[in-house]
Amino acid sequence: MNKKKQKRIFLILTVLIVGGALLSLVFSSFTGSLVYFYTPTEILQKSESLNGKTVRIGGMVQEGSLVKEEGTLKIRFLVTDGEKLFPVRYDGMLPDLFREGQGVIVEGEWHGGQDFIAKSILAKHSEDYMPVEMSEEGIANAKKSILKSLQ
Amino acid sequence: MWIEIAHFSALLAIVLTILQIVSSLYGVTSNNNAWIRVGRHSAIVVALLLTVSTVGLINSFLNHDFSVLYVAKHASLDLPIFYLATAMWGGHEGSLLLWAWLLSVYIGVAAWRHWKTHPVSMPYVLAILGALLLGFLLLVLFLSSPFERLIPPPFDGKDLNPLLQDPGMVFHPPFLYMGYVGFAIPYAFAMAALITGKADEEWLVATRRWTLFSWSMLTTGIVFGAYWAYYELGWGGYWAWDPVENASFMPWLTATAFLHSVMVQEQRQMFKTWNVFLVTTTFALAILGTFLVRSGVLSSVHSFASDPGRGVYILGFMTVLLFFSFGLLTMKSEQLETDIKLENPLSKESAFLFNNLFLLIATLTVLLGTLYPLAVETWSDSKVSVGAPYYNAVFIPIMLGILFMMGIGPVISWRKATFKQLKRDLMIPLLASIVAGFVSFAIGLHNFYGVCTVIVMAFVMFTHILDTRRKVLARMKTSGAGSAFRAFNQLISRNKRRYGGFIVHFGILVMAAGFIGSGLFQEEKNLFMSPKDQIRVGSWNLTLDSVGKASKYNWQAVEAVIKADNDRGFSVELRPQKRVYNETSQPTTEAAIHTTWFEDIYVVLGDQVKENVWSIRVYRNPLIVWVWAGAGIMALGVMFALMQGRIRKEKKQ
Repeated sequence: MNKKKQKRIFLILTVLIVGGALLSLVFSSFTGSLVYFYTPTEILQKSESLNGKTVRIGGMVQEGSLVKEEGTLKIRFLVTDGEKLFPVRYDGMLPDLFREGQGVIVEGEWHGGQDFIAKSILAKHSEDYMPVEMSEEGIANAKKSILKSLQ
Repeated sequence: MWIEIAHFSALLAIVLTILQIVSSLYGVTSNNNAWIRVGRHSAIVVALLLTVSTVGLINSFLNHDFSVLYVAKHASLDLPIFYLATAMWGGHEGSLLLWAWLLSVYIGVAAWRHWKTHPVSMPYVLAILGALLLGFLLLVLFLSSPFERLIPPPFDGKDLNPLLQDPGMVFHPPFLYMGYVGFAIPYAFAMAALITGKADEEWLVATRRWTLFSWSMLTTGIVFGAYWAYYELGWGGYWAWDPVENASFMPWLTATAFLHSVMVQEQRQMFKTWNVFLVTTTFALAILGTFLVRSGVLSSVHSFASDPGRGVYILGFMTVLLFFSFGLLTMKSEQLETDIKLENPLSKESAFLFNNLFLLIATLTVLLGTLYPLAVETWSDSKVSVGAPYYNAVFIPIMLGILFMMGIGPVISWRKATFKQLKRDLMIPLLASIVAGFVSFAIGLHNFYGVCTVIVMAFVMFTHILDTRRKVLARMKTSGAGSAFRAFNQLISRNKRRYGGFIVHFGILVMAAGFIGSGLFQEEKNLFMSPKDQIRVGSWNLTLDSVGKASKYNWQAVEAVIKADNDRGFSVELRPQKRVYNETSQPTTEAAIHTTWFEDIYVVLGDQVKENVWSIRVYRNPLIVWVWAGAGIMALGVMFALMQGRIRKEKKQ
């Protein structure tokens, strides 16, 4: 093997090693940082298997369920998809679009049977800004339930 | 009336675009120059017609013509005139028209500027660009027309989305689009080169300045977007790895790779297939970006109500584009083969190879994080999101690698670098960077990646400075230029591209310093304040003076007045607001920011928690202004490089 060829092989090997190392870094951190999204119905069904996992849950803020603790930023509210609902607690500044009867996505660690402690809240304006994660049906259902709760 | 003229012009533009494609192709197959000239003239007329269209639409906004559906949806009587004129790109329809208009102008300029210099490629360039424009015009006119009437007209419009009522809106989309669209020209020249079988360096020389220009526009557009997100969205940060941000970042990464690997082809006639691949990928990613933003498949601050029809159309358009380009590339790739092989690991070629490797893996990282959730959603019932931790974990090492190559690439020699040269060029920078690492650790930077970045930054800084110094000294000796200043002046004005590149690299270093400062040292405080309460942040004392009301144009707000006193004895007044816009009743947060070269004090007003008590959030963002300044330096560097004319370069060769 001549010297030129040796050098070429050395170069190709370096590229492969560096590239391979980076790609393995990409894929290993990728699988670890996926956060799955559930509706209230889904999460209550899979409650057991998701214990301790970070999840995102999307639904509507149940009308009339929002309780603010005076003098703090702590709030409690119910998130519903029209069928199931579950309680959420949050402590922090709320997004501008957060309101009762509007779409919301809460993210945090799931512990079945306890109030969901949201680490972050994303709020969406449901008039012209539907959360894409919510199905049409879910939104229709949620609206119905809001109507029901008003009666 | 205006809107009809606009609409009619756009329709006529479609007809002429078809004429442009057909006559160029017919002209080249029948070898009849007159037909190609028809194609060229059509291209220029189309640019004028679409200019009329755009002006017509803007004029309807200025006249509050609410009988135009698009105007009624995106403006109101109260909207300040500044935003009226730019509301044209405040929604899907108008921004697609902006896309098409910019493309037509670029085509017109290309047809005018390259007519004489590139007669062989020109008919194909005209046809390919015409086809691209046609694709967009069909979308604008038949799937998302901004010219539709609304009868009967409402008395007042729905107003522009409050988040878009901001100077950021004026600059961010046009710059981004000028970047996106600009890559169409190098792409078309590359394709034409493949078709004509003249895939040599001609297309690179023709498109070098287009690529540089588009790259700088894209850079500026992205940073404008980041800056806008920073002061408008009120969360203290500027980059959230939001899918739409990613969509603009991917073409930037591949375009950066392209800018560098082009040099290898110019100097050494290698990487030919690779360069065509890169320019195609860059343009395809720019289209992908448009698709992601405009189809509504993504949930983000940028995507409003979804529209599957448009999404399917753009997806189809992209499929055709990809099949055509990569098909052509595979069929014609034997033309691009070269006998010159990259064989020495210590050479500029190999430095560029690693630069490209890092940039492409970075692109792949972003692509994976952006498209995987869409794939999961399409092919299964579950929905998934990829968070910032993924990007941070992967991007920091990749960026360190790229920065490191940035220190080596400009100084290492072509073909084969000797150890002696490397020792001369890299020894001092390596030592200096290690010292810089220790110093940064000693003054309180205890984050592993932070120290690494400082080390690499110092390395890059020193290689650039030493290289320039060595060249200045050499010039002083040989040309007898006398003073160092004159020699320096001569040096950089004769190599504008090289030293433009140095300036861009310097801008990146400044930006990197901003990333470290704002990323690792951000302070955040959440608290409740009543009037006269005080809080200490960094070297500042913030005192809440009062909370009152404010209003202007089309909004009303609750406004806090906060006095910020610095230890060095000066004070400023900060007025964060919570605004409600009249037409939309959607509240928005207006952060108050005081910027210094050293840090930003960023105050957000939250809700009133009880009588006389408000929640307030304060951020101290060190060095954040360096991020914006770095982008400015990068833009200057590109402008400097662009000043090097094509002719001079050819003379030299």
